[in-house]
Amino acid sequence: MNAHFVQSASVQSALHQANQLLSANDCRGALEVCLSAADAYEHPPGALCLKIARCYQRLGDTDAMVHWALSAVDAGEEFAVWLACASLLKNVPAASLKARRSARLAVLSSYTTVQFVPLLQIAALRQGIALEIHEGPFGQYQQEVLNPSSVTYAFKPDFLLLAVDERETNLPNHCAQPLEAVEKEMARWRSLWQHAEENSTATIIQHNFALSPEDALGHLGSRLAGSRYRMLQELNRRLAEEAGENVLVLDCDRIAGTFGKERWFDPRYWLLSRQAVALDALPLLARHTAALLAARLGLSRKCLVLDLDNTLWGGTVGEDGVSGLQIGDGPKGEAYLAFQEYLRALKSKGIVLAVCSKNDEAAAKAPFEKHPRMLLRLDDFAAFVANWRPKPENLISISRTLNLGLDSFVFLDDNPAERLAMRRALPAVETPALPDDPALYVRALNRTLLFETAVLTEEDRRRAEQYAARAKADEARASAGSLADFYSSLKMQAIIEPISPEQLLRVVQLLGKTNQFNLTTRRHSLGTVSEFLKDPSCVHFTARLRDCFTDHGLVALLIAFVHGETLSIDTWLMSCRVIGRTLEFEMLRYLCEKGRERGCRSIRGLYIPTEKNGLVRDLFSDLGFRLIEETNGTTTWERSLDDESLPQRSFIQRVASFDTLPEEINDGRLARPA
Amino acid sequence: MADLHDQLEGVFQTIFNNDQLQLRDDMSPPDIPGWDSVAHVNLMFGIEQTFGIRFTGDELARLETIGELKRILASRMR
Repeated sequence: MNAHFVQSASVQSALHQANQLLSANDCRGALEVCLSAADAYEHPPGALCLKIARCYQRLGDTDAMVHWALSAVDAGEEFAVWLACASLLKNVPAASLKARRSARLAVLSSYTTVQFVPLLQIAALRQGIALEIHEGPFGQYQQEVLNPSSVTYAFKPDFLLLAVDERETNLPNHCAQPLEAVEKEMARWRSLWQHAEENSTATIIQHNFALSPEDALGHLGSRLAGSRYRMLQELNRRLAEEAGENVLVLDCDRIAGTFGKERWFDPRYWLLSRQAVALDALPLLARHTAALLAARLGLSRKCLVLDLDNTLWGGTVGEDGVSGLQIGDGPKGEAYLAFQEYLRALKSKGIVLAVCSKNDEAAAKAPFEKHPRMLLRLDDFAAFVANWRPKPENLISISRTLNLGLDSFVFLDDNPAERLAMRRALPAVETPALPDDPALYVRALNRTLLFETAVLTEEDRRRAEQYAARAKADEARASAGSLADFYSSLKMQAIIEPISPEQLLRVVQLLGKTNQFNLTTRRHSLGTVSEFLKDPSCVHFTARLRDCFTDHGLVALLIAFVHGETLSIDTWLMSCRVIGRTLEFEMLRYLCEKGRERGCRSIRGLYIPTEKNGLVRDLFSDLGFRLIEETNGTTTWERSLDDESLPQRSFIQRVASFDTLPEEINDGRLARPA
Repeated sequence: MADLHDQLEGVFQTIFNNDQLQLRDDMSPPDIPGWDSVAHVNLMFGIEQTFGIRFTGDELARLETIGELKRILASRMR
């Protein structure tokens, strides 16, 4: 075992000095000593972060305390420090945590989770999620799931985590009918999932089974279908395959392998206190679990902004010229190529790429146009900014062009000074550190877990195209004469139809992550929406939009309920990609039709303000609703259904299906539309 | 030995959430408030991670005094 967290002499001496000052009650002095020691690091060591957080706690500065306690998460996966920071955060009021989301999570486990729970809490908070956690009684995951009146269900969790280990599986060491044995065990997990779905609206997070490194059969274990090793592999495969839309599977076997299985499985701690996962592996497990939660809640990052020189290729194009760049050949050139390959894979799963470089634009673009080994092409980037202005300024302008909030961005730069400037100016942007050696870029980026995806919908795969199309449409707007001409030139068509079962995943994804055009920001779960679909009083529909550049996919949603003669809007949201396309007028028209069909006399709408939905504050007023009530900023609006006029025409043709779609997707990559 | 003492004290302070905690060689678990079975596991593991050593099952299960703990650490780190 390596000494992972042996402190450097300077940190040790700073901590020692700080302790002495603290015993003399000189909190400010201790803080200064620690802060100046921390200055030497991009990510200061955890023990230092903790000490600084404690100083701020004593000084009563909660915001700074929270900031430093969470910095310990970035410092490394140091178990004891994380625990201490988690306990610092325990009594902080929710408002000071500045979480982007909150959620209720029940942990049901086959092993001791008393340490895992606070670690998960702090890992989730680092991702912007304030978790309220209910920890089930030790080892009783089965009873808790099967009993409809269990404490777990009474807690009304949004997520139900099944943290289990391979000891829990009923699989023999060797079996003559392995498929039957696996099916029997799989049936048990299926039934647990079903019970959980019947008794709650929670999304299930299933940890799969890490396979132990010890096996008396040795290599034969992987060849015999009846060995426990093979059966566990098969069980993991089946879990992944059979997990429905409501079950997220965390690949613990892979995490354990990454961590090192002889360290992950520590028999001493199992024997001493029933810890199935070694305590020093728990922070990593917590980080992965939190990343999956974040993905499901729509908090994953959407756009990766890249520097060019020494980030995408070796060398400086302005100095070395295109031919002097290292890309493709030699160990270094191959490392940059491998990094570009990884970025391209991110793009094809829906991550938007952009460039932000200090260069002249022509020079910055030249390698993409002229270097034969360059893998990424100019059209892989939705935005390309090369100039000499400060990067935070450019990043803001990219965020405007793409209409994505700053908290959707990750910024990657080989230059630590640029990273520091970005973190200072725009803390909402994630700016991970990059190692000096480009050979390790892929690993460093992969470890951040910032682009975890809970499901892959068609929209995700096509997003990069759509953002590029959006930028193009903006160009068209700039060149088009009047706004009306511009809208007409887009040749927009929409399919508006009730939510179908195939659309549910995308609908829940939109509910989870839409912030700007979202009138009520109600984060309904999959279970809740499924209930809505069965409710005869519910009027619901989605809109899919295409224009001459691209098919934007399913981008808008409206849910309303008939109450007597009133049709009340529960949820109305639209993806930021298609804001400003007049789709809202077309949706209103459709809603009015439905209202009249149901015999309603009026439509009622609610606007609940949040930090991010100021965009739609006046939407109802613009749509000809009149204000009938206002309490604490929440406004209620009404529009008579006798009124057949629309305040503005939409430029969208409503169709039953898109006759000629832009070219189809193959292998998840989209051919460019004509 | 002074370094070892300081660093060990640091682990105790982290685990027991107490910056003022000071270790003496004659201390044993009942002398430190909050030293229950969970804290014990956390503590022993924290020490393993900080010092990069591994305790035996026996050492994990019973710990008499801080002095003894330091002797074990010193012998492992040679």
